[in-house]
Amino acid sequence: MQEVVATPYFRASFREWLFTTDHKKIAILYAMTSLLFFSVAGIMGMVIRLELSQPGIQYVTPDQYNYLLTGHGAVMLLWWAIAFWGAFSNFLIPILIGARDVAFPRLNQLSYWFFFSASVLVLITLIPSQHIKMMWTGYPPFSLHYNAGPTGLYVLIVLLIAGSTLGGGVNFITTVLRMRAKGITLGNTNLMIHGLMSSIVVQLVGVPAFVGAVVMLFLDKYIGTGFFNPAAGGDPVLYQHLFWFYSHPAVYVMILPAFGVFSEVLSTFSQKPIFGRAAMIWAIWAIALLGFMVWAHHMFTSGMPHWVRMFMSFTTVLIAVPTGVKIFNWVATLHKGAIRFPTPMLFTLGGIFMFLIGGLTGIPLALPAFDVNVHDSAFVVGHFHYVLGMAMTLGAFSGVYYWYPKVTGRMYPESIGKLSFWLVLIGSNVLYFAMMMVGIDGMPRRYVDYPDINEWELLNQISSVGAVILALGVILTFVAWIKGLSGPVAPRNPWGSQSLEWTIPSPPPPQNFESFPVEVPEGWTPYAYHKRPANSE
Amino acid sequence: MMQMLYVAAAAAAEVIAPIAYPADRWDRIFDIWIALAVVIYLIVAIPIIYFLVRYRYKEGENEIGADEHGNMGLEILWTIIPTIIVIYLAFQGATIYTAQRTAPPDSLVIRADGMMWAWQFDYPNGKSTIGNLTVPVDKPVKLELTSRDVIHSFYVPAAKTMEDAVPGRVTNLWFQFNETGEFISFCREYCGTAHAYMNATINVVTQEEYDEWVKSS
Repeated sequence: MQEVVATPYFRASFREWLFTTDHKKIAILYAMTSLLFFSVAGIMGMVIRLELSQPGIQYVTPDQYNYLLTGHGAVMLLWWAIAFWGAFSNFLIPILIGARDVAFPRLNQLSYWFFFSASVLVLITLIPSQHIKMMWTGYPPFSLHYNAGPTGLYVLIVLLIAGSTLGGGVNFITTVLRMRAKGITLGNTNLMIHGLMSSIVVQLVGVPAFVGAVVMLFLDKYIGTGFFNPAAGGDPVLYQHLFWFYSHPAVYVMILPAFGVFSEVLSTFSQKPIFGRAAMIWAIWAIALLGFMVWAHHMFTSGMPHWVRMFMSFTTVLIAVPTGVKIFNWVATLHKGAIRFPTPMLFTLGGIFMFLIGGLTGIPLALPAFDVNVHDSAFVVGHFHYVLGMAMTLGAFSGVYYWYPKVTGRMYPESIGKLSFWLVLIGSNVLYFAMMMVGIDGMPRRYVDYPDINEWELLNQISSVGAVILALGVILTFVAWIKGLSGPVAPRNPWGSQSLEWTIPSPPPPQNFESFPVEVPEGWTPYAYHKRPANSE
Repeated sequence: MMQMLYVAAAAAAEVIAPIAYPADRWDRIFDIWIALAVVIYLIVAIPIIYFLVRYRYKEGENEIGADEHGNMGLEILWTIIPTIIVIYLAFQGATIYTAQRTAPPDSLVIRADGMMWAWQFDYPNGKSTIGNLTVPVDKPVKLELTSRDVIHSFYVPAAKTMEDAVPGRVTNLWFQFNETGEFISFCREYCGTAHAYMNATINVVTQEEYDEWVKSS
């Protein structure tokens, strides 16, 4: 039965948006805020690439550049790579498990307004006197120095966004544990749920360490404590341990939901169950757990004892194992499939290829013997842009294209989506591969300027051209998403997926499902491509 | 890419000393890694491309995927083999790292103090220079690093080695230049406005020139 529900979003009043506790509207609020800041950080990135195209200082002062770097990093990580998945969690978790909303809708609303407040503070940093220039990592003693800008502002931003995260964490975990439909277990639920859940659990466990680290920064700078001040008996390296204890698992927070998207999309567009589902669930949680044991690989040159470097090297290389398990199972899912290539599938395939390269360049970084030449170089920047700038972003775009008909009730224009994919893929590869090459040749990161040696200028120019192509690709995706809003009406299940969210109308009605409690048949799985129930069209 | 050509040429022409030790150690771990990475990439990428072509949706012929759910044997295989590979890599890396980090016992010890935004070098006889490090060729040099203010880092591109300079502690790195000349060093830990300009020049001279220079004021 095809039911076109008058879209609740565009008819809703401003007041309704302001005070909503509906998880679907809150998801849209997170998505819009996140996309806006993604664009702001993206523009910052473009200015950085502009300045780096030639040796010498042409467009911005070193202090402005250092602000742009800090802003680009902090905003991309917190407002895009983490927050955008908050939009996914909000929209999808209830409808994937057969629930009417999340466990605590008012807490959900409060979480968004914490996030919104943090966003306003970020915009304040655009004012020159409020430029934060400590880089997103904020290492003391520099972050305690006046040259670093208003450290307190950064601390407050982190505290607010942490509040949002912790509220969301409590909410979603309770929802998944308590509100699943009858017949949906943690063993047979969507891999997207595991991707989001593992990410949320890691956030809940890790964010307090980040909060602790920045609070200690605040106390050192404004109250005169000596946590990181050697003259007072403290140690700057302590901050690095506290900071990275969260910030390393944080990168898994950013990629695990993308892994969930890859699994959903691959399965749907191969018309096959995901290969090795139990192994996939095991692997996601193994990555989440191992992710807490490796943080000091960011500190191999920090002066910490030799044995710590060796220990962390061994734990870090082990993460390649569950990650590899996931990649091999995705490849096996394609085996004997019936594969189609609409835009979400292209983005997912691109994401997997890019994650392969990103992961393979991560392995040498796990070895101090290798890291000693490339730590804090453009190679590291290239590596994490492969996994974050590409694999995570391609995964996020794939997810939006995939669930676009469900969320909006419309279809985006397919040809624009496909063109955007190719531009993003080609542009990103040109940009970040050249970056890795110049990094291996010795170019440091966080440099406003570089000497005119070897082929550094050429490689930087190539990177900057890649950035322009990438930017065009991203703009095209935004065009596709906006044009799609007035596109053709989408059927309830345009992709022929067997997953629960495609059994309800597009967009979902306020209560999601027709009646409660929702029940799924015996032996239900979201990947039932060989037990075609009446759901398929 | 330059790396690979250089190393291939070196291998072909027997052992050629690098411009500065321990750069050759890094070249070794790079070679091991790049070979593994290319092989693993192809092992994964080629099947993907093949499957994408071979198992395309074809109306009437291939409309639904096979009823495959998993294979325990495969899971075990592709868990155990990568584990062995990465543990091997970690052990190799550990051996190589020891060589990169252990200064030879006869090293000339020079102190390097980082500050915003320059390096001060103090030689064993009390001589001091700023921004300019003079060392003798063919002799191991151990730099003892610290900082006056914030964290800096001393990176020697020719030797492919670096270590942070942290206030409140003394860290170290070692290198040995095998040819004379002028070489650059970079600061590699963000330290503010002029972080990109905190370069020092390493002047590599003959032992006689060094002995004479270090005695002068």
